[in-house]
Amino acid sequence: MSVTAAGAVDTARSADRRWLVLAAIWLVLIAAPLWMPLIGGYTSLGTRILVLGLAATALNFLIGFTGVVSFGHAAYFGLGVYGAGLVLRYLAPSTPLAIVAGILLGGVIGTIVGALIARQRGIYFAMVTIAFEQIFYYIGYKWDAVTGGFDGLRGFQRQPIHLGAFVLDIQKNDLAFYYFVLFIFALVVGLMGFLLRSPFGRTLLAIRENERRARFLGISVNRHIWLAFSISSFLIAAAGALYALLNDFADPSSLYFDLSGDLVIMAVLGGIRNFWGPLLGAAVFEVLQDYISSQTVNWLFFIGLVFVIVVMFFPRGLLGFFHRRRQT
Amino acid sequence: MVHGKPSGRLGRRRVLKLGAALGAAGTVQVTSPFIVKALGEQPIKFGFIDPLTGSLSLLAVSEVQGARYAIEEINSKGGILGRQAELLVEDSANDVGTGVEKIRKLIDKDQVNVTYGDVNSAIAYAVSQVATQKGILHIVPGGHTDPITGKDCAWNVFRVCNTTAMDANAISSLLMKKFGKRWYFLTPDYAYGHTLQAAFIKNLTAAGGTYEAELLPIAASDFSASLIKARAFKPDVLLNNMGGLAQIDCMKQYVQFGLDKEMALGGALYECEEVVAVPTAAQAGWWVMEWWWDQPGVPHVKAFADAIVAKYKKPCSARHWFGYVGIQSARLAMEQTKSLKAIDLAHALAGMELPPEVALQPGKVYYRAGDHELMPNVFTGEVHPPAASDPYNFFKVAELVPADRADPLASTGCHMTFPS
Repeated sequence: MSVTAAGAVDTARSADRRWLVLAAIWLVLIAAPLWMPLIGGYTSLGTRILVLGLAATALNFLIGFTGVVSFGHAAYFGLGVYGAGLVLRYLAPSTPLAIVAGILLGGVIGTIVGALIARQRGIYFAMVTIAFEQIFYYIGYKWDAVTGGFDGLRGFQRQPIHLGAFVLDIQKNDLAFYYFVLFIFALVVGLMGFLLRSPFGRTLLAIRENERRARFLGISVNRHIWLAFSISSFLIAAAGALYALLNDFADPSSLYFDLSGDLVIMAVLGGIRNFWGPLLGAAVFEVLQDYISSQTVNWLFFIGLVFVIVVMFFPRGLLGFFHRRRQT
Repeated sequence: MVHGKPSGRLGRRRVLKLGAALGAAGTVQVTSPFIVKALGEQPIKFGFIDPLTGSLSLLAVSEVQGARYAIEEINSKGGILGRQAELLVEDSANDVGTGVEKIRKLIDKDQVNVTYGDVNSAIAYAVSQVATQKGILHIVPGGHTDPITGKDCAWNVFRVCNTTAMDANAISSLLMKKFGKRWYFLTPDYAYGHTLQAAFIKNLTAAGGTYEAELLPIAASDFSASLIKARAFKPDVLLNNMGGLAQIDCMKQYVQFGLDKEMALGGALYECEEVVAVPTAAQAGWWVMEWWWDQPGVPHVKAFADAIVAKYKKPCSARHWFGYVGIQSARLAMEQTKSLKAIDLAHALAGMELPPEVALQPGKVYYRAGDHELMPNVFTGEVHPPAASDPYNFFKVAELVPADRADPLASTGCHMTFPS
């Protein structure tokens, strides 16, 4: 067999493996409500993992695939939460409208903020993202009449989805809501995967690997970072809108930098260079929190310990580690 | 020519092998066998959510201890309806989203029969909303904000602790009479603080008083700027409405700034957990205790207080009593109705008078049917440094104000309706 033929075989094998892994991931997600109770889980925990996994994946569009670190992305997540909540509370009892409103509120404001900060780099970029996040946090906290202040926005409920003659009751049926969230999750990660495989996505990778070289090639780096920030904001706002539907509640903690930190931890835990890493990180983070916090009040210590261990011994995250083992 | 392993392409054989493996995995039992238990073997589950971490953790821990003590007492007397009682505790981490997730866990996964929570009024609000959606009995042991049993009252939600209006109405006239009508408020910026301050201001302005107020983050730790403003205002009384660790930090800084020589202290809640954690100079002022352990001559109180002190090595506080009463109330309703259905329990609790061994205070203590608020006595009095012989005796009761007098039903805004 010639070297070219061997290369073709390797490529085909790699493609097969990729499809196999993809099929396994979706099988696991689709079957989650069946197997989670066997290991002590429950459906709404699965839904929460999907939502926060989506948020971490959206953040990773910026961190892992563009090489720009934001510690303030909870702002656009939280705006997605409030966008959806405010529509359901004050405008119309429509779940699709609430999701669209959440995506638009977080995405559009993220786009505006991105335009203002895209020229910053490194620690300055990270600090400015936190500063903007604090602005939105305090708006949510202090604008009591509209947002409900620290107590949060109450008095709304996700509404059943009407599909002609068929009604998907996501309000009372947790299982139906899980699959609804999984459907939105699939749409969003599908869109993100499509973007990353496009020339635009390859350009982002080029910027991540060597910004100076990308600039020499004539790439408008600032504009691409702005676009990446904007897209990431729209995607994370979608997760935020789902979070509002999950809790039937919106409060300022969804805009707080603690949550941004948690999302970064989830991404790093799973592996920021891997598309599915943040979802795995979110699953590990949430399951650990759910389980350990039921056992001890010192659960934060153990979460921190796991994070330190991962950073020290699995610097590329859990999926990065497995990926490297397979390569060796 | 390259000799390698057989092609890794996904062939028919590999697909078949994979299918067989998955099928085998599906049929092999990997968990413990599912044994259906008879009802009598299954415990009755009480799900408790409280902020065991965060700035309100001091108070939350005491509530859970009181609940745990009640569960042990119930089980030592044979359980409820022949079944053991079990307490499941979850940490809301002083975060609304976490609290909501945890109550779903307790209801959906753990299948608890009654839920409880939370010290944090905002979380109490949110989790009681979830409990209402799920149609489960929910008791709020220690979240004070008024609308929970006021304008947002619900058929399945009951509350043990006082409303902010009860506490403010019980102490306001005493503060005005003793110190004057010029007040400065330090208030946490959330539901509890807003409603408490509004109740105080209503009483103060009705009596012709003046005030200044500052809303602070719930977990504030630096009060220097606020205390400087308070000093400039020269109030008769500083009303410290903060809670938990924030109130403790505020009291320490109040002493460090020397304000204890310039203005009196007072307000609604200054709880046992907080009084024991502040300097002697800050153990002062006129306050409300929602329950107090030193009630000479009142049956059962001493036994309860001594048992808590012996078990947990700390003063027996109102929070212990909240947790205890919450569990015992549900037990009484279950035994009265011989049912675990939320609707039956709610009907039984509405208007129920607590027996003396649960009420642990004089007079009639009952759940008011119109708003599902417990009607105990409000203990008003003076906080003072404890005597060396009894480190836990730092409060002198001046008056017991019946709660229904402090906050009449007509003023709550509750229109209670049960599902048909």
